[in-house]
Amino acid sequence: MGFVNFESAKESSMDFGGLPVEVVEAPRGAPSNTVLGTLPNIRKVLFSLFKGMSITLRYLLHPSTVVTQQYPENRNELKMFDRYRARLKFTYNEAREHHCTGCLICEMVCPNASIIIHNRKGPVTGKKEIDHFLWRWDICTFCNACVVACPHNALEMTGNFESAVYDRRLLIYNLNAYAGPPANALKKIEDPEERKKAMEARDVYCEFTPMAGASLPGIAPLAEKKEQD
Amino acid sequence: MDMLDFFPSSILQAADTSWQTVTIAQRASSAFRDHDLSGTIGYLLLGLLFTAGLLTVLGLVLIYAERKLAGHFQCRLGPMRVGWHGILQSAADGLKLLLKEDIVPENADKLLHLGAPVLSLMATVLTLAILPLSPTLQVVDLNIGVIYVTAVTSLGVLAILIAGWSSNNKWSLLGAMRAGAQIISYELSATLSLLVMVLLSGSLQLSEIIQSQSDGWWIWKSHLVGVIAFVTFLISTTAELNRTPFDLPEGESELTGGFHTEYSGLRFAFFFLAEFVNMFVASALIVTLFFGGWMPFYIGGWDGFNSIMGLIPPGIWFAGKSAFFIFLLMWFRWTFPRLRIDQLMSLEWKILLPVGFINIFLAALIVLFEWHF
Repeated sequence: MGFVNFESAKESSMDFGGLPVEVVEAPRGAPSNTVLGTLPNIRKVLFSLFKGMSITLRYLLHPSTVVTQQYPENRNELKMFDRYRARLKFTYNEAREHHCTGCLICEMVCPNASIIIHNRKGPVTGKKEIDHFLWRWDICTFCNACVVACPHNALEMTGNFESAVYDRRLLIYNLNAYAGPPANALKKIEDPEERKKAMEARDVYCEFTPMAGASLPGIAPLAEKKEQD
Repeated sequence: MDMLDFFPSSILQAADTSWQTVTIAQRASSAFRDHDLSGTIGYLLLGLLFTAGLLTVLGLVLIYAERKLAGHFQCRLGPMRVGWHGILQSAADGLKLLLKEDIVPENADKLLHLGAPVLSLMATVLTLAILPLSPTLQVVDLNIGVIYVTAVTSLGVLAILIAGWSSNNKWSLLGAMRAGAQIISYELSATLSLLVMVLLSGSLQLSEIIQSQSDGWWIWKSHLVGVIAFVTFLISTTAELNRTPFDLPEGESELTGGFHTEYSGLRFAFFFLAEFVNMFVASALIVTLFFGGWMPFYIGGWDGFNSIMGLIPPGIWFAGKSAFFIFLLMWFRWTFPRLRIDQLMSLEWKILLPVGFINIFLAALIVLFEWHF
């Protein structure tokens, strides 16, 4: 039973790709075949066994240590971690105004082109503004690059992971709730009526998404809804 | 023995209750002597039903307990879906295994492949018949009970070796060979510990061994010898059961299941059931030999306490004690990492076996000079 002999350990520094790395060289202790030499090892072994058993007993006796989530049952109370990355979402202020200026940085930074942005010339302001922000949940790798790259913090990743659908096209989302200028541009328009006119409502599945015009049970695109009214 | 007077022998003395043991086999034979044929057949059927029922109940309860405990030992919940807190999980699993396709590899030795699980379960069932669960709940009370248990549980090794060989699979064979080496090695120290208790109690009959503990359990009465024998027996039975930290024959990460890699459906269930019931057999043996079997826990002099303890039926005492040791084995399994094969062998041949030999010598001295209480 050769044990590592920490008493005769040598510490040195080693160059590792330009970075100094601390190295500890500890020789293996001479194997102790005598009965007395084995005794400390036996003591060490017994101590570690009891330590391990006390840890597992603590887990058994304290049900609060359980980390399992009973998912479909606790769906309403389920709280995902802040760092969990699933569904991409626009950030909105209190007045439900987004912060997207349509600068296309997220589209450029997206590694597999799962973001497609359509801009337009604003009918009220006459300036470039977002028309459709298409995000493909089916091919997104959740790399977070768009969120990091966005200069206006207009995007965020949320913990909503329930993406199961029967038609893949249903995973192509229009993220902006309205087509129009971002929050700080809307602030300059003082008349609330004008401001409302500048915000044209957009649905999750509308025009540019493949669902535009198509109807699946339970899915009614905005364009169709308008016709019905 | 003046030097031993600091520990008065009366402290763990039991109340004066003599236990009359009547086994099911004795009832059957007395009915036969009275020319009561229906009674004889009835008692024989009762014995069969008892063994079969015990096997089934143990299988269901122990598998559920293992999964539930495993969950909570690892910060999980274990089965939760089938029934209240998953209480019907093992019944559902059993049904699933019954309905599963029974796959036999093409180049397997068909007869041996079929026979091995049956042999494995048979070895277990045969031991269940002689376990004294209470003074009246025992099928047969053999006068060579300890030898019988050692002999019959060794059949399990044969089943595992046959299973590994007949599967015609490298992993199965390796697992079976490991199991063979491990069980044969650890059988030595297990038997040495058994012999210590045989020496102390002066009998090979399991009910006699329990009766010899009516004035205190052997773990208290036999000084350090009994404790050492208990620890060696606990370690070596854990190894014989192929449970972690000695689960090399199964070795999921190395051998994809070891000797039962090629088994599916009901035959796999047989191995599984045998493993779990063997755990009960091992715990029952530990209880019988060291912890007084179905004897209640008495403290000498505390008459009120003793009379309350005496109210609890002996069957409950036995079940409770063996449940504790089953819990201990499960606790071991979900805490310790697996040993390497050379560590396993050196533990047996370098530590446990010499300790066992010294221990049996000391036990002989203690019995010879009557130093025990």
